[in-house]
Amino acid sequence: MKNFLKNHGIWVLFAGAVIAAALSLMSFFSASPLVDITGVLASPFRAAYTSIATWFNDKQAYYKDVKALEAENAALKKTIAEMEETVRQAQADRDENELLRQLLDLRAQRRDLSDFEAATITEHSVTNWASSLTLNKGTNHGVEAGDSVIDSTGALVGVISEVGYNWSTVLTTVDTDTSLGARVFRTKDLGLAQGDFSLMSEDLLRLDYLPSDCELLSGDLVETSGLGGYFPSGLVIGHIREVRLDDSGAASYAIVEPAVDFDNLSEVFVIKSFDIVT
Amino acid sequence: MLARNETIIKWALYAAISLLCAGVQGAVLQRVELLGVIPFLYPLIAAIPATFESPTAGTAFAIGAGVFCDLLLPAPLPCFYTLIFPLAGLCAALLAQSVLPAGFLCSCAAAVTAFLFTGLFHCFLLWLDGKTAWGPGICTAALEALVTLPAVFPMTVLYRWVYRRTHLDD
Repeated sequence: MKNFLKNHGIWVLFAGAVIAAALSLMSFFSASPLVDITGVLASPFRAAYTSIATWFNDKQAYYKDVKALEAENAALKKTIAEMEETVRQAQADRDENELLRQLLDLRAQRRDLSDFEAATITEHSVTNWASSLTLNKGTNHGVEAGDSVIDSTGALVGVISEVGYNWSTVLTTVDTDTSLGARVFRTKDLGLAQGDFSLMSEDLLRLDYLPSDCELLSGDLVETSGLGGYFPSGLVIGHIREVRLDDSGAASYAIVEPAVDFDNLSEVFVIKSFDIVT
Repeated sequence: MLARNETIIKWALYAAISLLCAGVQGAVLQRVELLGVIPFLYPLIAAIPATFESPTAGTAFAIGAGVFCDLLLPAPLPCFYTLIFPLAGLCAALLAQSVLPAGFLCSCAAAVTAFLFTGLFHCFLLWLDGKTAWGPGICTAALEALVTLPAVFPMTVLYRWVYRRTHLDD
């Protein structure tokens, strides 16, 4: 080997120089073959670790996205809950608005009824022996025993019989303890509208003490007479269903169908004060 | 003879069961109408515990039940139930003492008696008011008893459980 270098060293050096010059010359036009070869050899490894890095990056991004989505989802749920609450409130406001509009109409129609209190029915009849309603308004809203209660159409529902701080009990027009001065709108005949136990289960009441010469027709409107000043006049009680003779056969009484459907009633108005119209 | 604390526990448990029944009445039965009437548990509250107790104790408990009902329910008289329930309680206790041993049958008989008394008293007051309704009144009381009778069984079980829990030696 020592001899070979001694004899041919110059040639080897020359060949090396030529190759170096050639490679330098080639590198002007393309990547250096050594670099190229190195690159080719490194390429699969580079691809491998790039894909591993990409996988890690993807996982990291996925984790970040999931966290962000979870936060966004929670925020959206909260927003939806708030919006649902707003919708519910809007619904309640709309109902109240409708009620107040009815009240306004009623006030415009009946100027003698000066002071109303809107109330919600919290309980319907609690025994089989009385027809009553429990309201959510009491003495704290100025409700008193004896106040008349009407529905949104102005029809008489009943009379307040008992009052507590934030509740009151209404005996409906068909209850046996209710007696009202009544007048038939068409004939102006006066009578006494009162509950009857045998009719109470059918939600009917009697119109007693009618004049002997009265000529009532089925469908005649019966309203409060207002006589005595206990109740406002002109509140609709109901319509005559039929006229019957009493047990003695000497006097007649009428069966009255109330204008109010007690079972489907949910909102009423308590008349706290009224002007007596003569 | 029961110890004082046993006696207190017994009456407290009777009262708790009665309140539970009142809750069931207000929350559920009041909204149910069977054969045109609402099932009405209150007369049972006055009658059934009395079948397990002496006439004095049964009547006293029935007075309490009556006061509770008068505070809660509309009635033609302010003390309607306070007047009639003690009579129902006394009858129930006497029935259990001398005719039928306390149990389901006795509770049924006591319940029917309680409904009869309550109905007749209602009719009597209507008659006094000039609104005679004996027929419809008795009919309503009978229907009330009929639709409420199924409740006699669970209520008897509950009250009897309290009685047996506190009268272990009997």
